[in-house]
Amino acid sequence: MAKLTINGKFIEVKDGTLILEAAKQAGIEIPTFCYQADLSRIGACRICLVEIAGQRKLMTSCTTPVMEGMEVNSESAAVQESRKGVIEFFLSNHSLDCPVCDKAGECELQDMVYKHGPRKGSFKEKKIRFHEKDYPLSPVIIKNSNRCVKCTRCIRVCRDTVGVGVLGSMGRGAHQEETSFLRTYLDCDHCGNCIEVCPVGCFMRRPYRYKSRPWDLKSADTICPYCATGCTSKIQERDGEVVRSISKMGKGVNNELLCARGRFGFDFISNEDRLTTPLMRKDGELVPVSWDEALESLAVNLGAFAPERIGGIASARLTNEDLFLFQDLMRSAFKTNNIDSSARWNRDSVSAFIKATGINEGGVSLRGALEGVDAIFIVGTQISEENPVTDYLLRRSFDSRWVFTMIASARAMKLDSCAQLTMRHDPATENALLTAIAKVIFDDAGEKAAGLDCAELFKDLSLKDLSDESGVDQSDIGAAARKLFGSESATFFAGTEFLRFPDGLRGFSLLKELLTALGKKITVVPVLDRCNQRGAWDMGVHPAFGPGYEPVENPGLGNAGMLEAADARQLDALYIAGVDILNNYPDFETAEKALSKLQYLVVNELFLTGTAAMADLVLPVASFAEKAGTMTNQEGRVQSMSPLMKPPGEARTAHDIFSALLKAHDFEFNVAKPKGTFEKIQANVKSYADVELLNERSDKSLTGESGNTVSSSILEKEADEEDQTPAYTAEDLPLTLITGNHLFYSGMLSSRSATLGSLLKEAIVEINDTDAKKYDLKSGDHVTVTGRYHEGRYAVRVKNGSRKGVAFIPENFKTGPVNRFFRKGEWSQKVRLKKVDA
Amino acid sequence: MKPILLKNQFNPEAYKVESYVAGGGYESLKKAFTMKPDDIIQLVKDSGLRGRGGAGFPTGLKWSFIPKDPTMQKYLACNADEGEPGTFKDRGIINNDPHLLIEGMTIASFAFGASVSYIYIRGEFVFGARRLEAAIAEAYEKGFLGENIMGSGFSHDMYVHCGAGAYICGEETALIDSLEGRRGTPRIKPPFPAIEGLNSKPTVINNVETLSTVPSIIKNGAKWFAGIGPEKCPGPKIYGVSGHVQKPGLYELPMGTPIREIIFNHAGGIKGGTFKAAIPGGITAPMLVEKDLDTRMDFDSLAAKQSMLGSGGVIVMNNSTCMVKVALITNRFFSHESCGKCTPCREGTTWITQILKRMEDGEGRPGDTAEIERLCGMIFGRTFCPLGDGATMAIRGNLAHFRDEFIYHEEHGRCKV
Ligand SMILES: Cc1cc2nc3c(=O)[nH]c(=O)nc-3n(C[C@H](O)[C@H](O)[C@H](O)COP(=O)(O)O)c2cc1C
Ligand code: SF4
Ligand code: SF4
Ligand code: SF4
Ligand code: SF4
Ligand code: FES
Repeated sequence: MAKLTINGKFIEVKDGTLILEAAKQAGIEIPTFCYQADLSRIGACRICLVEIAGQRKLMTSCTTPVMEGMEVNSESAAVQESRKGVIEFFLSNHSLDCPVCDKAGECELQDMVYKHGPRKGSFKEKKIRFHEKDYPLSPVIIKNSNRCVKCTRCIRVCRDTVGVGVLGSMGRGAHQEETSFLRTYLDCDHCGNCIEVCPVGCFMRRPYRYKSRPWDLKSADTICPYCATGCTSKIQERDGEVVRSISKMGKGVNNELLCARGRFGFDFISNEDRLTTPLMRKDGELVPVSWDEALESLAVNLGAFAPERIGGIASARLTNEDLFLFQDLMRSAFKTNNIDSSARWNRDSVSAFIKATGINEGGVSLRGALEGVDAIFIVGTQISEENPVTDYLLRRSFDSRWVFTMIASARAMKLDSCAQLTMRHDPATENALLTAIAKVIFDDAGEKAAGLDCAELFKDLSLKDLSDESGVDQSDIGAAARKLFGSESATFFAGTEFLRFPDGLRGFSLLKELLTALGKKITVVPVLDRCNQRGAWDMGVHPAFGPGYEPVENPGLGNAGMLEAADARQLDALYIAGVDILNNYPDFETAEKALSKLQYLVVNELFLTGTAAMADLVLPVASFAEKAGTMTNQEGRVQSMSPLMKPPGEARTAHDIFSALLKAHDFEFNVAKPKGTFEKIQANVKSYADVELLNERSDKSLTGESGNTVSSSILEKEADEEDQTPAYTAEDLPLTLITGNHLFYSGMLSSRSATLGSLLKEAIVEINDTDAKKYDLKSGDHVTVTGRYHEGRYAVRVKNGSRKGVAFIPENFKTGPVNRFFRKGEWSQKVRLKKVDA
Repeated sequence: MKPILLKNQFNPEAYKVESYVAGGGYESLKKAFTMKPDDIIQLVKDSGLRGRGGAGFPTGLKWSFIPKDPTMQKYLACNADEGEPGTFKDRGIINNDPHLLIEGMTIASFAFGASVSYIYIRGEFVFGARRLEAAIAEAYEKGFLGENIMGSGFSHDMYVHCGAGAYICGEETALIDSLEGRRGTPRIKPPFPAIEGLNSKPTVINNVETLSTVPSIIKNGAKWFAGIGPEKCPGPKIYGVSGHVQKPGLYELPMGTPIREIIFNHAGGIKGGTFKAAIPGGITAPMLVEKDLDTRMDFDSLAAKQSMLGSGGVIVMNNSTCMVKVALITNRFFSHESCGKCTPCREGTTWITQILKRMEDGEGRPGDTAEIERLCGMIFGRTFCPLGDGATMAIRGNLAHFRDEFIYHEEHGRCKV
């Protein structure tokens, strides 16, 4: 600790604290421009100069750490004069076109001049102008360099945090322009973080251009509806249209960061295809009906079937409150445990994943998991594309503390450049790879491991076989093993590949168990791709367990089981809340067949999706912007969101719909606002009992040590037999097809966002550079992708450094849905690519 | 004084290794290998050698900041960026006596344990860069570079790295940025390069002349060196004289030679007219006038005159020189070369250039001079690196003596001279 005075005020702060931050703690504001917490410190703009007793020159408070006994003055005459001077310099070449600047009203330069500035400037020379008209840098960025203050925050966030580094300074001195290389159109993450950090109106949102003034906007705090990183943002509306989503420095896990989806993917809200009235099938046609008629018919129709012939699937993007009521409705009103929260993962894969990653045991803080850890192992996740801000946060953490990082995946990813070891394995061979690593550790540990329970397992394993199966060199396996063995603690990031290919969980659990038995502190951060997947599980939207992972007596069917039963006419009715099964279920044909055999299908939806179009009753619902509630991110962080506006037309919140149905079933049911439901959740799910809903940066809203009891019998069940069916191979289908999320494309919502659509205009297939050469293809070429069951047209993207022999098509393209290539029971599909003329 | 650094300037063969060796070259390196590295550092400290790059920092002391850990990678970067107008001393050594520099660099590297060194050379010095590369190749061939040099057990690699035309890359931390392949802008200190320099490893940055002085110190000892010139900054010094003199060129003289002697005895006096002013050490250094001509040309004597020795590049002006034009040319250089990182230098120097341009073009307005003075006050002491300060020092130095010429421009729209 160091004691010092700032403007005569005594304060004691931690050693190494910057004067600027110490002043903030003392309640003294020092203006800044180039400084931004979490960005590298450059001390360039000179606005933050302060006087320090005994120093000849004024010093930058944003780079100078405090010292014992320091006497700082941030308001002396010299400081004020210098500050005014810097502001006058800023304005000398600034275009001063506030009336037409989108930033006006929330511009740091405006505020600064207002607070500290000289009231008059004397610049009478010709201003330097970089261009006459603003120029677009990407579909989401429009640039005006005449307003730049050269703080380089844009460059630093893009390079150091986002890891893309497509911005830089062109030219020198007053002619220096912060922009892309030669102002060329950007091919980047389109995250808009450069826009967020720009203090003035240089980097601007293109979709928001000239749409509003900040003071005319109505705002609400919300949670990004895409991945489970759980970024907080403020969405803002004007005249009934959501026009902007902004992040807030110092708020949420994400701080000032968002990814393209979180920043620009909200416009599906105002998509004119939104459903606005309940639709009921009458004489084969879906026709508008009243809510009374809709709900009554739903209660009557669903209630008519025997419990085991009813099922419900709810989206992992609904709120905890929605999901809690949904499972309550299915369980107490319709008496069935046929409940699931996804159409993609298998029931037992989910159980195994929860167990292996310890989700049921309580929350894990991302920041905490990185602090002081010796090694990081990222496996089974396309983190850079699926959870972009998690990628940004990891990269940022490496800036302040270097940690040995390993990444294992089939596809290359942006985060590779931060890793010391990358392992490119064949798809779905996580088990072989992780088992191989465990085997090397076991052998190296010798005596120490000989007595362990798992010792038997390693006896007959051949490292060579495992290495061959995964396609990863023994030397890399050895390097990973030795690093883990030599570390006292390690953090694993384990993602959705383990849900797709649950076999990998065996290797994962084995490795985790072995390391734990050897005394290592192992932390697992689950990496999930739907914003409330963890919440859905916590709420018990699962056939085998209820809220708080409480096992149910007669486990029901999962999504696969329900569709299979429907196909066999053993299940007659489904209630689907927000899942486009036809596009999601990894076997289109089965899904379609099964749904068409149902006697009664109800769908809650925002849009008339393929699944909704098959329904007997479609209920229009509110989007995330139109409702209150909570969501639980992948860490277990429970965060609340508030409604910004009313749902369109007669659309209602899922919470209202489920409440009404519960009330219809049980007159005792107390219809409450989401807040009331949350209290019920707190009473039912132990780990939520003390949760504080702050949405702040603190970890207070993490669900703590859970106290949830989980019957191991549920979670220990081996993955289904069908998952082990050997791959179908054919000579003429040389590439293994894999899927996952794309940076701009993840699920049904993104496909309804015009802005995201503009970032990725067509369905793509991605291959690595070696295969591209082999098949004479380059990015932008068009191909037909032919599999055993399906053929489709895609644009080629070449990704350097991915595993060879792998083709990747993102999930959920409206044109070219990848699920048509797959069949239930065949874990992998092979395809070939053939060039077609554009 | 017998030339030490320039002794080979007029030997057209000196750049070749045979000729260099024949003149006793690489003997100092051989001698250095018989010494303990720490003793070399001590010797250089004792000699009192101060850096010739401009700041005059004691060279031995700089070397002693490098951590002693032998397992740690360390670097030497020779600053051959020589961008300051009026300065051309390093070029003389590079073009005509490259092995002198290579020998000095190898001794320095041995002293503080750098296994790799770079010569960061100004991009325009194409001839010099080629010459250095050829000389380095020769040195490798003769075993003065590479593995186990002269059986000493010390191995060393040397590379030439060409700059891309930015003056700021002569500033040591910007130089490191540039060597690492970035756009060069000064970095925050601390950490100082001696702790975290090139590739985040301990690095010494020394000027060409500084390093070229080292072999003679090894050869002749610290006492000999300390005996030349003033006690506080001894040694031979190259003065580059240009401008309105009869014999412009490089003159190697004892440090502390009075500027009058340099201009009138060595450079042959004023050409065309009478003496008006002289810039003593590259255009940053505030100018001296008639009454200052007895000032000794060393770091401390010039500092006492509110000027500086800088690089020792003397620019002489006769009485036909318009000082507003001088100010414009000087300041235009600074605004053109401002790296753009910090606000006062970037905006301030540009603004001043705009005013001076107007004045020079006959569009001066009353108050322009006062405005320039005000702007200097808004820049000086508030910039990130010395470039911005330097720009104001140059103008203020000019105004201190010739303010009337500026006012004349304001009032009459033309030169007084
Ligand atoms: C703007 C600026 C430009 C500089 N240019 C040069 C240069 O061209 N050559 C040089 O040797 N030193 C230059 N320097 C000084 C270096 O930063 C550094 O102090 C010097 O190279 C150290 O070498 P020395 O200790 O041998 O003097 C410059 C400094 C500044 C601030
Ligand atoms: S949008 Fe993101 S990736 Fe693109 S330039 Fe801006 S910060 Fe960089
Ligand atoms: S564009 Fe914006 S963020 Fe980038 S340097 Fe200019 S003012 Fe700063
Ligand atoms: S990282 Fe995930 S939660 Fe964050 S903005 Fe992107 S999609 Fe939304
Ligand atoms: S004073 Fe500032 S702008 Fe000028 S060269 Fe130095 S760092 Fe760059
Ligand atoms: S905020 Fe400190 S120098 Fe810019």
